[in-house]
Amino acid sequence: MLSVYLGKMDEAIYHPPTYFDNRYKDEWITNPLSVSMIKDIDSSDVVGPYLIQSPVLGPISYKELSGGVKTLILLAFDDSGKIFNASACGDNCSKWILRIAEKKDLTINLRHIMDFGSNKFDIRIINTGETVQDMHRFVEIAGDYV
Amino acid sequence: MHGKHKVIVQNNKLHYEFIIKRNITIVQGDSATGKTTLVDMIDVAVRQGESSGIDLICDVPCRVIAGNDWELILSNTKNHIIFIDEENSFINTQEFAEKVNGSDNYFVLITRESLYNLPYSVEEIYGIKSSGKYQNTELIYQQTYQIYPRQESLPIKPRKIITEDSKAGFTFFENICKEAGLSCESSYGKSNIFSVLKKETEDELCVIADGAAFGSEMDKVFKAIRNRKNIKLYLPESFEWIILKSGLIDGNAVKTILAEPEKYIDSTEHISWERFFEKLLVEQTDKTYLKYSKSKLNEAYLHEKNKSAILNSLAEGNLQISPTLPYLK
Repeated sequence: MLSVYLGKMDEAIYHPPTYFDNRYKDEWITNPLSVSMIKDIDSSDVVGPYLIQSPVLGPISYKELSGGVKTLILLAFDDSGKIFNASACGDNCSKWILRIAEKKDLTINLRHIMDFGSNKFDIRIINTGETVQDMHRFVEIAGDYV
Repeated sequence: MHGKHKVIVQNNKLHYEFIIKRNITIVQGDSATGKTTLVDMIDVAVRQGESSGIDLICDVPCRVIAGNDWELILSNTKNHIIFIDEENSFINTQEFAEKVNGSDNYFVLITRESLYNLPYSVEEIYGIKSSGKYQNTELIYQQTYQIYPRQESLPIKPRKIITEDSKAGFTFFENICKEAGLSCESSYGKSNIFSVLKKETEDELCVIADGAAFGSEMDKVFKAIRNRKNIKLYLPESFEWIILKSGLIDGNAVKTILAEPEKYIDSTEHISWERFFEKLLVEQTDKTYLKYSKSKLNEAYLHEKNKSAILNSLAEGNLQISPTLPYLK
């Protein structure tokens, strides 16, 4: 299930892409989930752990992946117990955050109102203890904190 | 700094082109649209010049600021367009806001967070999108687009008005709403509009706020009302801008300024445009019967002819307070 802490959170990793660059593991990139996320968000193909083919930048390394994808990969695979600021992700990443949270208990920090789409979901707001099922209620609560 | 400045950044794969015309510009939007790449390219171009292989073309110098010594660097940077990427949490601090206030630099800030310490315009919140190939080359053309474009689902004919203003602007709208049989209330500041809207169940509601400084509130207010068709936002630059635009003030000077405000608004004097428009209106009406004060509305603005001119100005922006009033188009 997805839990969200809204607003400033001192213990959260503020800029996950930087953390990713320094804590990345080769096997994360070639995992089928990462391959799908990189294809969807960055429109790029994973050739191997050290090579990704971008339609814009050509052959790139993991360091040139978007901040959003780097954060998603951390949310999926990092087992350090760190909480990441998912405001490094655009709205195009939100469906992947929900998908990752289907497989495990995931806690993120949000400092903006991410759009989780028009479908129903379960998101626990840590600030209030309430679990919300749609964007209408999510915005009502989040607007007081971000 | 004042004026508008075109920025072109390109290498052999990417061509960015956009115009900056206010002291604070926000860039946000989806992941993987090239925001960080843009900042990285500018940084390398500035540090390594021609040997970087990156063309950075602008009529004023650009630079990137990052890291813990931002205050020191900023204190020694004059008349630049400064780009700051989202990794820098200092952009959300009061210390940074104080540095922006009165600065002769323009700032381009990459962030999805709302920066409540800074008064930025809803019109200067952009995303980046790829617009295909650039001029028959292999370059990918990266352009900015407004996240909150001017909406055309109008005209607005509200049954109730909520203003962020609690003084002169509110007095004006309260008066005309009373005549038209509508209700009008103040939220007592832009930061209260979100909470006021949460409680509101009234049909056909219109929120009037100063667009020139509403940027930090826009994300949550926009998301709160996007599925509530009965609530509309009317975001002129400011109430004073509406009056200036109405033609009440004689002469061509005001008209000329309003056509291209960025030419006349210096960032060192005005942190946001609505403060410039207030000053302009005060200056233009000094020693006249229309002498303007923000703290208390001069009753002359409620005289029939003047009121009519302002209402017509609103109607041109598609806000019809009451279509039954004879002086409205």
